[in-house]
Amino acid sequence: MLIEVKAVTKAYRTPAGSFVALRDVDFAANKGEFVALVGKSGSGKSTLLNMLGGIDRPTAGSVVVDGTAIEAMGENALALWRGRKVGLVFQFFQLLPTLTVVENVMLPMDFSGSIPPAERRPRALSLLDQVGVSSQADKLPSSLSGGQAQRVAIARSLANRPAVILADEPTGNLDSATAGSVLELLRGLANEGATVVIATHERDIGSVVDRKVEIVDGVVAR
Amino acid sequence: MSPRWAKTVRDVWQERARSLMVVCAIALGIAAFSSVLSTYAIINRELNQGYLATNPASFTLRTDALDDAVIALVRSNPGVQTAEPRRVVSGRMKAGPANWRNVMFFVVNDYAAIQVSKLVPETGAWPPAVGEVLIERDAFQVAKASVGDSVAIRMQNGIEKTLKVTGGVHDVGQAQARMENIVYAYITLDTLALLGEKPYLDQLKVVVSGDGLDRDHIGRVADDVKKQLEAAGHLVRRVEIPDPGKHPHADLMAMLLLAISTFGLLVLALSGVLVVNLLTAIMASQVRQIGVMKAIGGSRRQIAQIYFGQALLLGVLATLVALPLSLVGSRQLSLYLARFLNFDMTSFAVPLWVYILVGLIGLATPLMAAAYPVLKGTGLSVAAALADFGVSDRGFGQGRLDRALASVGGVARPLLLAVRNSFRQRVRLALTLTTLSIAGLFFMAALNVRASMMNTIDHLFASKLFDLTLGLGALGPYEPVERAIARTPGTVRAEGWIASDASIVSGSGSVTPAAESNPHGGTAASALSHSGGSSPASGESRFSVLGVTPKTRMLDLDIGEGRDLLPDDVDAIIFNTALAARNPGIKVGQSVILRMGPAEASWKVIGIAREAFSPPTAYVSRNYFDRVGGHAGAANTVRIAMERSDEASMATFKAALDRNLDTEGVKVTGSLTKLDSRYGFDQHMLMIYIFLVVMSVIIGSVGGLGLMTTMSLNVLERRREMGVLRAVGASSRMVWMIIVTEGVTVGLLSFVVAALLAWPLSRGLGNFIGSALFGSSLANVFEVRGLVIWLAVSIGLSLIASFIPAWNASRSSVREALGFE
Repeated sequence: MLIEVKAVTKAYRTPAGSFVALRDVDFAANKGEFVALVGKSGSGKSTLLNMLGGIDRPTAGSVVVDGTAIEAMGENALALWRGRKVGLVFQFFQLLPTLTVVENVMLPMDFSGSIPPAERRPRALSLLDQVGVSSQADKLPSSLSGGQAQRVAIARSLANRPAVILADEPTGNLDSATAGSVLELLRGLANEGATVVIATHERDIGSVVDRKVEIVDGVVAR
Repeated sequence: MSPRWAKTVRDVWQERARSLMVVCAIALGIAAFSSVLSTYAIINRELNQGYLATNPASFTLRTDALDDAVIALVRSNPGVQTAEPRRVVSGRMKAGPANWRNVMFFVVNDYAAIQVSKLVPETGAWPPAVGEVLIERDAFQVAKASVGDSVAIRMQNGIEKTLKVTGGVHDVGQAQARMENIVYAYITLDTLALLGEKPYLDQLKVVVSGDGLDRDHIGRVADDVKKQLEAAGHLVRRVEIPDPGKHPHADLMAMLLLAISTFGLLVLALSGVLVVNLLTAIMASQVRQIGVMKAIGGSRRQIAQIYFGQALLLGVLATLVALPLSLVGSRQLSLYLARFLNFDMTSFAVPLWVYILVGLIGLATPLMAAAYPVLKGTGLSVAAALADFGVSDRGFGQGRLDRALASVGGVARPLLLAVRNSFRQRVRLALTLTTLSIAGLFFMAALNVRASMMNTIDHLFASKLFDLTLGLGALGPYEPVERAIARTPGTVRAEGWIASDASIVSGSGSVTPAAESNPHGGTAASALSHSGGSSPASGESRFSVLGVTPKTRMLDLDIGEGRDLLPDDVDAIIFNTALAARNPGIKVGQSVILRMGPAEASWKVIGIAREAFSPPTAYVSRNYFDRVGGHAGAANTVRIAMERSDEASMATFKAALDRNLDTEGVKVTGSLTKLDSRYGFDQHMLMIYIFLVVMSVIIGSVGGLGLMTTMSLNVLERRREMGVLRAVGASSRMVWMIIVTEGVTVGLLSFVVAALLAWPLSRGLGNFIGSALFGSSLANVFEVRGLVIWLAVSIGLSLIASFIPAWNASRSSVREALGFE
């Protein structure tokens, strides 16, 4: 298993008391598998995705990704690990507005240092080409359409050749045609060997992914 | 450029308005600080270099008439590099219809051969011929004369002659003549003879060989030369050793520079506060981006580097802006101080160490200011950073103050909103209040210190119930003076007193270095100008003793301890505060032995009189001089109270009195009106007052910039709220009013803080300045006008500072505002 989540519980303290977002969740994904976490808003699917990417820490249980138990890692070690092992795609793209498209893709390489400086720009351009937006390379994110921005975000997530790609509502802010092409793109990445886990509301996701995992009120339903 | 550097630079550009404010704030702080630092370096160098260039005397011997043989003898002393004879003679000068002015003649035998305490010829002839006089460049205004004028001179011997002003010189060692209200004039020995004085020189200015900066060495040579002179049959009356190599006003200048430096540091600190505010806001708007960068693998250190890089970039820009400003500032400040101390600037070159220090401060200030916001922002967890929605991290309503504010009702809802909004960003509010309040504090303190200074001077002059002081030189019969005064219209009353120099005999009191005694009873101006630190080698401290008429109506001493003089007192003495401070071991009720001339006598200290800004002076009844000294009916100084003391009446009175005194054959050696005394004080006070006000205006500007920054940040962060307000029906005018009210609320709060702290600060500052510059604390008063003016300024500043942000917010559309992220 590339991803192995065991008995994970996540509780938050709020002014109104403790709120349990995940309760004793088990989850696993194989290398090259494309898994969709589905559920209503507030069901806990984004929380689980955050656990997989080391963005948030479980209150109880363990998360092992590509052989690394990430719940025990410090913030900086997690950042370094995430930069090399995980590619993240957000609903609102989250491209840095003052960097050009190609610079946004180069930034993770810059942080991790795993790609030699001379190779970063060619690789970034190659990734942009792979997702079909290489013509936008030197533009700023503000000039991109939603679909283009999300493709750039996917290219950025691939910058350091991650084993895992995690996408939180990657199509939530796109029209249906664009959403379809983005899902196809992710499908292709899984086919090339990456493990892709997405949290989504999409009803017709079943035809694209290998497996759907439904989460209801913080518990894996099936 | 790597993406990280690209982000560093482009973020600064993206946030142009805020970056500009940061650069302005840092540049203002650095410019103020480096102006002061550069001035300090320039003035220290120029003042002492300019002074040393005149080859100042290592010591001066005051003796009797010197002849060539004895001068040659002194010059042959191996410890002496060179020695030159001089003389200083007092007199009066009158140019055209102007009034008589007190003049100090510096007599030199051969101007062309001056090697010690050199003069710099500036205009007209050099050297002066017989019958000619040169005037110190700053004294022309006092003399009301120009090169080419003929001036009437009246000497203490009563002889009146006319001399021609043929040139102007610069005498670096003299204080500004305007402030001292005295004319410095330069004549030859032959001209002195022409003026009816015996043509001799009685001062020997000596430059030592060897280490001229070693005070002990100078003292040893001085003792040696003194013995040489005494062995040659000369009476050495006094040996004066100034601080070696130090301009007579170096200490005063150091004091001024210390005050200015403190101000520079304060402005720098306040601009730092402003930068903290701005960078905190910039970091707040970057939180989500920080989350994204962390999510894609950026470590805290890597991300912090980006933001520290931005701070560094802003620091570089600010330093580049500040450096030319500081060069201009230091030039102006140096010129101002040079004018004040009557010396010329030869170079405005700023030493390299100042540039290095300014550069370091320029770079360090934003880095330090950025440290907390950057470390806080980059320390957020990825989840928290990604969840940030760009507004306050703390909701309103959680604290007690919030709930208290929320419970306030009864006024218009928009007004309530504005007031509550003021308290939403507490740290920002605190920083803004700090800046604005300090500005207000300094403004009010400036006015209070000025009012306190004036009040102190008023107290001082209120104790002197006379309008004119006449110096008569030698002790002589008072009767002819009395007759002359009686014939002069406008006289209310007059008293003839006896003034003497005295010293406390060692063992009967404490002994400290002397200051020059003042024949006119002393002014702050003279106290200030003679604070050069000369000390008599005799080890005695000299001061003035004034023998006043029993039951005098010319003095109303402010007795702080003990009692005033009684009509029958003979051996009772009152010390003024300066004399008491100089002799802390002598208390009221104790006896002291005073040496006056050759006589020594025991006196009982009966009281201490409060006299600010005055040199050490003692008051006794003239009964002592009448009964013990046998000087009944004699006087050497006169106090006159007049019906009218305005300038015109004074001039008329003095002219008439001069004629009447001439008729009686009385020779007046000097005169000083209360107006002239007051003028000297006011000139010194004016400088301090202007300095304080300029300081408060600059700090006020920093405060205003701080408030403008705060308001623009508040508005920027709440654009979505503004959109909601507009969406629920608020007009542009209403939005504008809410923001302006918020600004005015902050302004009013700062006013309250400043008003509460103004009095203790003013007292402290006033007493500090008074003690440092004049050796006495002030009679402090609170200037209510300052309170009113600063209230108006606070409201005005708040209106100005919030106007532009309010205008921008009120003009943005609902769609723009709601879409803002």
